Amino acid sequence: MLKMNNISKLYQTEMVQTHALRDFNLHVEEGEFIAVTGPSGSGKTTFLNIAGMLEPFSSGQYLLDGIDVGKLNDNQRADVRNQKIGFIFQGFNLIPDLNLYENIEVPLRYRGIKANERKRRIEQCLEQVGLASRAKHLPQQLSGGQQQRVAIARALAGKPRFLLADEPTGNLDSLMARQVMELLEQINRDGATIIMVTHDPELARRAPRNIQVVDGQLADFTLYQGAQTLKNVAGV
Amino acid sequence: MLEIKPIFHALCRSKIGAILLLLQIAITTAIVSNAAFIIEDKVSYLSQETGYPEDEIFSFHVMLFGNDVESHQQFELDETMLRGLPNVIDAVYISNTPLSGSGSSSDFSINPAPEPGLSARTAYFFTDDHALNTLGLELASGRNFNESEVIVTDNNEQRANVTIITQTLADELFSDTDALGKTVYLGDIALKIVGIIKKAKGPWMKDSRPDNVALIPYINPNISGNFIVRTDVKQRAQLASTIEDEMLKSYDKRVIIRVRGLDEAKENYMAQDTLMMRMLIVLITILVLVTALGIFGLTLFNISKRTKQIGTRRALGARKSAIINYFLVENAMICTAGLILGVIAALLLGQLLMQHFSIAALPPSYIAGTALMVFVMSLLAVFGPAKRAANISPSIATRSI
Ligand SMILES: Nc1ncnc2c1ncn2[C@@H]1O[C@H](COP(=O)(O)OP(=O)(O)OP(=O)(O)O)[C@@H](O)[C@H]1O
Ligand SMILES: [Mg+2]
Repeated sequence: MLKMNNISKLYQTEMVQTHALRDFNLHVEEGEFIAVTGPSGSGKTTFLNIAGMLEPFSSGQYLLDGIDVGKLNDNQRADVRNQKIGFIFQGFNLIPDLNLYENIEVPLRYRGIKANERKRRIEQCLEQVGLASRAKHLPQQLSGGQQQRVAIARALAGKPRFLLADEPTGNLDSLMARQVMELLEQINRDGATIIMVTHDPELARRAPRNIQVVDGQLADFTLYQGAQTLKNVAGV
Repeated sequence: MLEIKPIFHALCRSKIGAILLLLQIAITTAIVSNAAFIIEDKVSYLSQETGYPEDEIFSFHVMLFGNDVESHQQFELDETMLRGLPNVIDAVYISNTPLSGSGSSSDFSINPAPEPGLSARTAYFFTDDHALNTLGLELASGRNFNESEVIVTDNNEQRANVTIITQTLADELFSDTDALGKTVYLGDIALKIVGIIKKAKGPWMKDSRPDNVALIPYINPNISGNFIVRTDVKQRAQLASTIEDEMLKSYDKRVIIRVRGLDEAKENYMAQDTLMMRMLIVLITILVLVTALGIFGLTLFNISKRTKQIGTRRALGARKSAIINYFLVENAMICTAGLILGVIAALLLGQLLMQHFSIAALPPSYIAGTALMVFVMSLLAVFGPAKRAANISPSIATRSI
């Protein structure tokens, strides 16, 4: 469902040019759960941002569900993000002035979903992350792990087929991290494709497929990858 | 797509900035609507018709110090001399200059004092049969004074017995009959109305009866007198500059002062009002600008405070237009609340001004107009910053912690 062919990303600042990605190639099939690891500054976030259309790339081709992303205009990219992609951020990125219910409502409103359908979905998602009784609370009244679960509920509410997470457990202790990981695994079993950047080798190992970004390129991992995929297929 | 409810909730949770802005909008609306009304009132007062060709007329004051002439006789000679000067259309002795702020007034009654009867406050000028022509006044009915009706004297027992009054005064004293031919009384002096002037202002534009004016053909000056001269617009300045020499040429034991155009005299009289009007204009301009800046600044501040949130919204699928709408709706909500408060404050302020400064009641159209203006201005002020917010990159969501 995701195909990146020779994607490059060049950051140009006054002082330096940074090749954050260089001839980056990746194919992701529907239903995969991929953990992305790599040294700091190697380009993981850049890759995820391009995959999520949060920033443009300099050259190459990126197809998402057969759509050539490079040919979309700004409004179309916003609509694709809204309909197909769910984001989970390291810093949770909940809107501080909105309560949990309203936070989860944000992407649904952008999609123009009717109020009663929104209500149904929000309650279902809050249930799923175990925070149904907290709908009226503000983000600051929750622990980090709870906030991240709200953020996951927000990402899920739009029923995205594609979930992108940049260090979703980076700000959490290991117990909380495991809870979040279990939630993601559940979501993956329900059919969503997940790409997760993480620094935690233990969590990465739990993902069926691992890729490593080094210096803006995929490290050669083909054998390992093949084995993982086989295991994955067998496991289903 | 409008998100009124969540925007409202978000506002309620961080409300200090919004409340300050709301108050500013309310105060602006209250002050601007009242000030605009006062300005409009002043403008119509300052620009009203006086009935005189002001730019063709100038006046001057004469004070005699030689005692070898009789002043009433000298002034008769002066009138003749002035009328003979080149470019002079007409000239006349008159006890005071209209519009100038100094003059005489009294109650004109339909019965002789002390009999009670209908009376009206009236400004009167002692002058002669050249006054109508010199002042450029038009008769609605009746006639000018005859030469024989003009009393020129130094004997206080001698009195005039006719008058010409304005239509306004005629209507006030004789509301259901024709005033022409009737008699009015200045104290116990009976004056028969021989003519009615269409329109003329007395010395005081701010008077309660600025249009009640009577001319009386009576010249009994003391040592000082007042003249007005009518000429061509283009000749006036030149003529006014030579008038002192001409007057002294015919008799030099006297001084000529206050040579000035009728429009100048009027401006002098109105100077305070003009100043007040200008100050009010400056005040409301500053007020509106400050409010606009306040809205602009608050929006910029809100945007910088919410950069990450805006990036997140964009990541979650907000189009640029949705971000712009967010700020416009938020501002419109603050503005509407401010305007509701402002309208109430404007009405209260208007009432206060009415009680303490005898200003007419503030018409609702001024409040509505001001409110609309403030609303449009606030949307304009917020639009620029909102567009800037819409250009925040969605990648902020992952790049900033
Ligand atoms: N906006 C930018 N302008 C210039 N350079 C940038 C920008 N964003 C990222 N970079 C550079 O691109 C490179 C890749 O950055 P990226 O954030 O993708 O790394 P990362 O793998 O996510 O690192 P970390 O594990 O620390 O999060 C880095 O060298 C970074 O300095
Ligand atoms: Mg990163």
